[in-house]
Amino acid sequence: MAMHEKVDVAIVGAGASGSVFAAVLAKAGKKVVVLETGPDWQLSDLISSDFWGRRIKAAGAPFLLAGKNPFGYGYQSGWGVGGAALHYFANLPRLLPNDFKIRSEHNRALDWPISYQDVAPYYDKVARDIGVSGNAKAEEIWRPAGEPYPMPPMKTFRNGEVWLKGFEALGIRMVPAAVGMNSTDYKGRPACIYDGWCHIGCPTGALSNPLITYLAEARRAGAEVRARSTVTRVLTNRQGTRVRGLEYYDAKKERQVQEASVVVLAAWSAQNPRLLLNSATDRHPRGLANASGLVGKYMMCHYSSGTWALFDEDVQNHLGTTGAQFMSYDRYGKTAHPGVFGSSFIVAGSALKTSDLGGFANARLDLFGAELHAFMKRAARGLTRIGAFGEELPNLDNRIELAADKDEFGMPFGRLHHSFDQDAVGLWNANFEEGLRVAKATGAREAWSARGNMPTIHLMGGTIMGTDAGNSVVNSYGQSHELPNLYLAGPGIFPTAGASNPTNTIFALSLRGAEQLAAKWGAVEL
Amino acid sequence: MSKRREFMRGAAIGALAFTIGGVDVLLTPRAARAQGATLRLLKPDEVETLEALGETLVPGARAAGIAQFIDSQISVPPEEALLEARILNVRPPFADFYRAALGAVERSSLAQGGRRFARLAGNEQRDFVNLMRQNRIEGWQGPAGAFVYFVLRSDAVDVVYGTLDGYAALGIPYMPHIAPLKRW
Repeated sequence: MAMHEKVDVAIVGAGASGSVFAAVLAKAGKKVVVLETGPDWQLSDLISSDFWGRRIKAAGAPFLLAGKNPFGYGYQSGWGVGGAALHYFANLPRLLPNDFKIRSEHNRALDWPISYQDVAPYYDKVARDIGVSGNAKAEEIWRPAGEPYPMPPMKTFRNGEVWLKGFEALGIRMVPAAVGMNSTDYKGRPACIYDGWCHIGCPTGALSNPLITYLAEARRAGAEVRARSTVTRVLTNRQGTRVRGLEYYDAKKERQVQEASVVVLAAWSAQNPRLLLNSATDRHPRGLANASGLVGKYMMCHYSSGTWALFDEDVQNHLGTTGAQFMSYDRYGKTAHPGVFGSSFIVAGSALKTSDLGGFANARLDLFGAELHAFMKRAARGLTRIGAFGEELPNLDNRIELAADKDEFGMPFGRLHHSFDQDAVGLWNANFEEGLRVAKATGAREAWSARGNMPTIHLMGGTIMGTDAGNSVVNSYGQSHELPNLYLAGPGIFPTAGASNPTNTIFALSLRGAEQLAAKWGAVEL
Repeated sequence: MSKRREFMRGAAIGALAFTIGGVDVLLTPRAARAQGATLRLLKPDEVETLEALGETLVPGARAAGIAQFIDSQISVPPEEALLEARILNVRPPFADFYRAALGAVERSSLAQGGRRFARLAGNEQRDFVNLMRQNRIEGWQGPAGAFVYFVLRSDAVDVVYGTLDGYAALGIPYMPHIAPLKRW
């Protein structure tokens, strides 16, 4: 075993949230080490190919899946430096004010301990930091005013524009999607060329992945990124009052200890609870930061109701970005769909590729053989889709726990239990029905729902924020209620999920937490 | 630099390693099949079933090297694998899944009519796959038929439609930022 020189901050995970903490704290003069279990990817590794793109997705110890709706994390999770944000679609919508007070306003789910106004300045700052294209003014029909985005909206294409007639017919207002991509050159990074390879990693620099934004800033400020470093335990002092560092295994699978004044777990919503539970001691027999018993609880996700339409015209579905061209919060009210509860967030217009999970071969899963080939030829010209993300409410039964089997480092696998409740199923169905009405109003030749197993998208929860150690794991900055020099970062700290893509909120909350930590360093670090 | 490392560098720029006559070369699965590359893990019967199934799912999958692709990708460490199984939460090692899936197809085909899947007529193969995708094959033993259909259909789509050649055949501009080599 090797002991490394003590650093100020040890961060687990080099994805969206870990990168932000690393950048802020390194720029504040702290000695920062980021431990990342996967490889140290470079932009030149991001080959434009769906199967080569799978190298940057799930690997390492798998999570065991249980429940009625097992959480399919493989497509969305990251592997290596950049994390899932290396291949995210860069849709950067915000949560809305109604997301923060669901308990108060509807006697359902949970309240956040903060309001939209607490996060809003950080949304604006993220937009400046990484570059967001969109029309903030247009979004202000749904949210309080903020700063304009630094770049105008992205170009749109027929594969998105053909839907506008249908949305208009149903009274659904669509505005330019807010995306973390360059519609113009920005901060020395080039404008997007709309080739639609965002989902397997953009090597041009037009899409704001961590390698060229926060992690690049962190490295410039002196942060060390230690790839191939698999953290297995958070270590505490003898009294169990503070964390003192991390145990990890290096590329040679040799045990190492990195001592640190502050530890930030930014390893993913599922992995953070696994680490806390595996770090149990005599002083913390149920796992670290777990006096509430809520570590690993309230796992949540989104689900999408997709609608496909086939047009006679060539909609040029190879052009654009994987993310959205247009978005709408017009069904974001928690009771927007009668009889069911939860927000829906609507998107339209995305570039399509042939293969992979989102490829258009999967638009008609029932087809194979000659019929599939005939469909592929038609779809290559006229196929396009929309989607509506739905909100899953927090449920104690959706949880991470440790399994009996262990991985190669002797760490128990995590078992992720997940089942949707009737509200989620009802909202999923309501969005399918509305999607079909939209599609039919466009005049498309054919339209159908993308039904199959109910999808699980964007894992959140597991280490939720709240007002105290009785109702939550961390405070609104991600700081553990019990161990003041332990921070949790990422969507795991969301107490509710909203329905919009989470990464903008991940960036914003991470900035807020990291700036608080830097500002109160003396009180936290001791 | 070791031979393996050189080949990993090849993999990093978009080509797969196959063995032809005892020599490691970078090829597409299509070329590997045409040149008789040595398979590493799949047995001849499994290859025959896999090629017949792939061809039923997506015409052209056999010649495009579906068996060579899968054989090569179940032979490498899971974190290097390019299989869709990886993003469909199939638990590594991936070879276990493919062996179980192909075994289930073979056992069911034999139980139904006494013939291996590869020996069925084209319309019989299509009928079998149609029932498999709906989990309607009685006595099926193995991973769910619908899931086997989904994974293997995805593999067949990958080798036929997911390559530069596949895009060209459909008339779709590929527009790579960083192009895979060997039109793969």
